[in-house]
Amino acid sequence: MTEEPYRWLEAISNRREYIRDQLKGGTPVFAVSRPEGILLFGIGQGSSKVFEIYDRHAFAALGHPVDIEKVRQSAIEAAHLEGFNRSPRDVTLRRLIGFALSPSLKNSFEQIFSPPLMVEAIFAELGETPETDILVRVHFDGNHHYESSGVLVAYNDPKREKEAQEWLQQNLPKPTANSKAQTPSLGEVANICMAAWRALADEKPFSEAKVSSADLPSQLNGKVVEAALLDRKATSHVHYRSLSLAQLKT
Amino acid sequence: MNGDFLALLPKNPFASLGGTSSSAPSAGGNIFGGASGPASRLPPELNIHATTVFAFHCREGVIIAGDHRATAGNIIFSDTTEKILELDSHSLMAIAGVPATAFEMARTLQTTFEFYRRSQLQSMSLQAKIRALSRLLRENLPATIQGFGIVAPIFAGIETSDPEAKPVIYFYDPLGAQFEAANYAGSGSGSGSIKSVLSFLEKWGSPPPGEMSLAEGVTLATRLLLTASEFDTATGGVHPDRKLYATIKLVSRDGIRTMSQEEQEKSWKKAVAA
Repeated sequence: MTEEPYRWLEAISNRREYIRDQLKGGTPVFAVSRPEGILLFGIGQGSSKVFEIYDRHAFAALGHPVDIEKVRQSAIEAAHLEGFNRSPRDVTLRRLIGFALSPSLKNSFEQIFSPPLMVEAIFAELGETPETDILVRVHFDGNHHYESSGVLVAYNDPKREKEAQEWLQQNLPKPTANSKAQTPSLGEVANICMAAWRALADEKPFSEAKVSSADLPSQLNGKVVEAALLDRKATSHVHYRSLSLAQLKT
Repeated sequence: MNGDFLALLPKNPFASLGGTSSSAPSAGGNIFGGASGPASRLPPELNIHATTVFAFHCREGVIIAGDHRATAGNIIFSDTTEKILELDSHSLMAIAGVPATAFEMARTLQTTFEFYRRSQLQSMSLQAKIRALSRLLRENLPATIQGFGIVAPIFAGIETSDPEAKPVIYFYDPLGAQFEAANYAGSGSGSGSIKSVLSFLEKWGSPPPGEMSLAEGVTLATRLLLTASEFDTATGGVHPDRKLYATIKLVSRDGIRTMSQEEQEKSWKKAVAA
């Protein structure tokens, strides 16, 4: 069948459709660059969505839990080998994604006789300042792009994802090292992400999205709120720390 | 996906250091601590004993300390060498032996522990960490037998998953056997005199080191290094007059705390004044 080129194109197109269909049940994840560091936020059901990769790197994803795990393990292995063989400063998202993860994802997507990896992901790399933070959106087919606005969303619907991202950019302008304007606390940032999450989950337009002044709930319809910070002020080499609701509020 | 970082590496991570080959080691390189065996192929001027690292229990946890000197023959190679190396947030090792191998072991363990924690989403158990160091020593056996790659480390850490656990001290022989130290451990050429003093204090000290506060423990560690340097030229000791102090760290449930030079100076001045 695949010996005929148009058949292969059709197979790829079907595969893309199939993956998008399978991802429909997934809920969004967010990454926001702030003066304190990079906040990763998601709401999981049973399995985690936000993970540590390396000293200054983290990952948040939606998709099939087994595939998320495969990508996570690959990223951790590649990062640690690079850090061991060279140095931790040589572990960069540009190399990790460009040379290790993206080609593997593309290869997996195009191998039409093997199961695809159903993952939509965000990778984050902590810099010295918000301007040097790196956020990368990685798709299931290996395609990826770097986001410079300091806000990134991963969702199963590209149109809604774009809307969410634009709404968040309006509500969360990227801070700079010299920014004098008062920036929202991490708890407030999480509340804004929660408002975007609700709009996406309830399929409501963002014009109706409202940021609740009430505290974040620990659970939402049986799902667990999950947050982590790549902490810019951490004194040890490990910058990643999971944030409990109590920590977010303070 | 079993969290074993070593499985990702070549079979013997120390092969590049000459650990498994029968060829002679490259010339040069310095040595601190550890014993050089009779089969050593190093030039005699490199075939020395040096270093002092030690650990003992105090009220707050385990104090682990070391001097900063590395020697090559009768030459002081460096007086700023760091021999107390943090492996993760709750464990560390003090190295005595061939630095090339010892540093590589520490680096391997640092990556191994972090890799396991991140990939398995839980910390490695204390017993597994203790065995991991033992395994590296065992893999270094050919170099140990040939006499040019000996490492005799001390390990200190705490089981983080057990809220009742207390910090422990382990010392190793160069072949990888591990021994838990009830009260204290020492390694390196200057450790003999230190172990004698600690043994004396455990029996007749008032208070014994295990009942000392952190401040008293830091003062004791400084005095012990001064004592060791009186008898061992390869131990750098401390020089309060030049504001040069040792590396002293505390392992406790809260993690690892490094005593800064200022803290050590303050503690020393207080002890001298008393």
